[in-house]
Amino acid sequence: MNIIEIRELKKEYPLGNTIVPALRGVDLEVEEGEFMSIIGPSGSGKTTLLNVIGCIDFATAGSVTVGGREITTLSDTQVTDLRLNKIGFIFQNFNLIPVLDVFENIEFPLLLMKKSGAEARKRAEKLVEEVGLKEFAAHRPAELSGGQRQRVAIARALVTNPEIVLADEPTANLDSVTGAAILELMRRMNELEKTTFVFSTHDANVLKYARRIVKIKDGLIEKEPAAA
Amino acid sequence: MKLLLTIAWRNILRHKGKSLVIGVILFTGAFLMTVGNGVISGMAAGIEKNIINGFMGDIALISDAQKSDNILLNMMGSSIEPITTYRKIKEILLAQPYVRRFLPVGKNLAMLLDESTVTPGYAYLLGADFSEYRKMFPDNFTVIEGSYPAPGERALLVPAFARDEFYDFYNIWFLPEGGGVVKENLKKEALADINSLVVSTSVVMMGMTSGINTTSDIRFPVRGIVRYGALNQIFGHFCLVDIESYRECLGYFTAADMSVQVPKEEKKLLGMEGPDLDSLFGGDAMIVRDYKAAPKLRAAPAAAKTAEDGVYNAVFIKLVDGVSYKEALAKLNRAMAGGGTEVRAVPWNKASGPMGGMALIIKSALFIFVTLLFCVAVIIIVNTLTMSAIERSSEIGMMRAVGARKTFIAGMFLGETAILSAVFGGLGIAAGILAVKIIPLLEITTKNDMLQLLYGGNFFNPLLSFSGIALTAFQLLVVTVIAALYPMRVAVGITPLDAISRE
Repeated sequence: MNIIEIRELKKEYPLGNTIVPALRGVDLEVEEGEFMSIIGPSGSGKTTLLNVIGCIDFATAGSVTVGGREITTLSDTQVTDLRLNKIGFIFQNFNLIPVLDVFENIEFPLLLMKKSGAEARKRAEKLVEEVGLKEFAAHRPAELSGGQRQRVAIARALVTNPEIVLADEPTANLDSVTGAAILELMRRMNELEKTTFVFSTHDANVLKYARRIVKIKDGLIEKEPAAA
Repeated sequence: MKLLLTIAWRNILRHKGKSLVIGVILFTGAFLMTVGNGVISGMAAGIEKNIINGFMGDIALISDAQKSDNILLNMMGSSIEPITTYRKIKEILLAQPYVRRFLPVGKNLAMLLDESTVTPGYAYLLGADFSEYRKMFPDNFTVIEGSYPAPGERALLVPAFARDEFYDFYNIWFLPEGGGVVKENLKKEALADINSLVVSTSVVMMGMTSGINTTSDIRFPVRGIVRYGALNQIFGHFCLVDIESYRECLGYFTAADMSVQVPKEEKKLLGMEGPDLDSLFGGDAMIVRDYKAAPKLRAAPAAAKTAEDGVYNAVFIKLVDGVSYKEALAKLNRAMAGGGTEVRAVPWNKASGPMGGMALIIKSALFIFVTLLFCVAVIIIVNTLTMSAIERSSEIGMMRAVGARKTFIAGMFLGETAILSAVFGGLGIAAGILAVKIIPLLEITTKNDMLQLLYGGNFFNPLLSFSGIALTAFQLLVVTVIAALYPMRVAVGITPLDAISRE
């Protein structure tokens, strides 16, 4: 069953008097539980595609269905709720809330969902343990290394049991060892939680972790190379 | 809510510099507003206390024919309508259990006549029985020169403030009869001119009413110079004179007139269908300058036998402590109307005109000042919070990306401002309350007339009511909400994409 369906997706950005096309008509289907990588050079449209799937940016034309809902027609509140309930995000720059500690950062989406304190705590504790940060639970983001912060971001993305986790170049700012560890972790989570992972990268070393690879160039999907 | 307040509180601690700037502004505004409210409340209470206890009581009875309720500090030359039914009024007042004491008075404007030049000056005359006046207001002034008149004596008490003003008009320094110049009491200009100082122990005044030609020029012997305990700038305009002399000066019918029943033939002889009352008084203590002026008869002569049968302009009433002000007014009005007295009761703040409204004027001025202060505070807070919102675009955008609604972001900003207001504004209010409580302990007194107006008396005694504190808290709340509106709008306008683009 497809959890993401994209048809004729176009995205254009105005730049002064000219229009810059970022996506020129993308068609893509992603099945539940996939661990998929979108690869391509800088400026190819990887981030734009992830942003549109994640309801962070909006299509100029075409249709995008996420978890069975056509997102191009949703209101701001509906889109926000969709992000909260169905999508997890992992950013390149490990965006965490600086004033909350590790545990609170992970718990944050659950509290937005109005989960009870006990339920939120239990789920957050499980995730803290799974990403190996139990002893750092009371630390603030500024007290963590890059890899640790990204692990917090992964835990936060997974804490709500989302149907999809979107990660935009999750290893771009990490050294190769830490990056590999993060990808291992994501893959393990994919296996454990059966969560669909879609991540972008332009690092060839990352590809070996993906089960499916989608290549994008100049705003169009070229072909799907064989997965590792 | 807990999450929201936690984030808001920790953000305040994280941005200590900005928080401190906003906090200091809120603290200062709240402190100034609290102290200001205390000063104004103290002033209002002081003025009320001084006017009620030392000048006119709680309520005044005035003639129904009197258009304006303001009978004490009215426009120059505007006369106060006479009351001719005091006998009836007295009977009714004596039967009212909530009335503690009352005093009938005459009050009008008089023109000071200079015997050597034509420059006129003015003073308010307050005519009363001296002994009754002292019972009503036992300690409202001190006689600083001369003495208090004996009961029934015809005399004038001049306030030191009025004497200073008279000197400005005439370059004459008035002294009580038999008194000498007291250097310490001399006005600065008079002291400089002491070697050629012109002194006088009597004042010539002509009563002023709307029918000005009916009044008489009377020479009043000065018996004493007085200084009020407080508010000399206001009370010092009123010269206290015995009621009979007052009536003569204003051309009212006096009780003394009635002690001699003039036969009709003699009245005709004297042309007294409107009798020349001046001609009935020829003592050394007064002169009649204008014999042609024919005072108008205003009271029924057949009934008049004592001073109380003559004409008054008002009756000052002090109420029993704890009596409801409004109820007393209503009861008095009913009783007076039922008794056919043709008078009405008005409260002190209306009868005293601008005096009663002074607190409101100063309160308005302070309110405008504090409003301006808060406007500046709002601008600074808005600017600081907006900068903060923009600087935190990445964090806010990320929150939005993981599912925080716009209301959450707005609540976070409102929460930050609310916490700052509650903490620093609350401290400001607390410091203000403390200051208002401490100031009276310092026993700050003044003899400065202008400061006495601000103090509401000679003692600086700011007061704080619950409503004053509530008003400050409400203003803080308004500032908080207004200051948070624009930054909130900026913050909720930040999208997850803005956060990513910024990165």
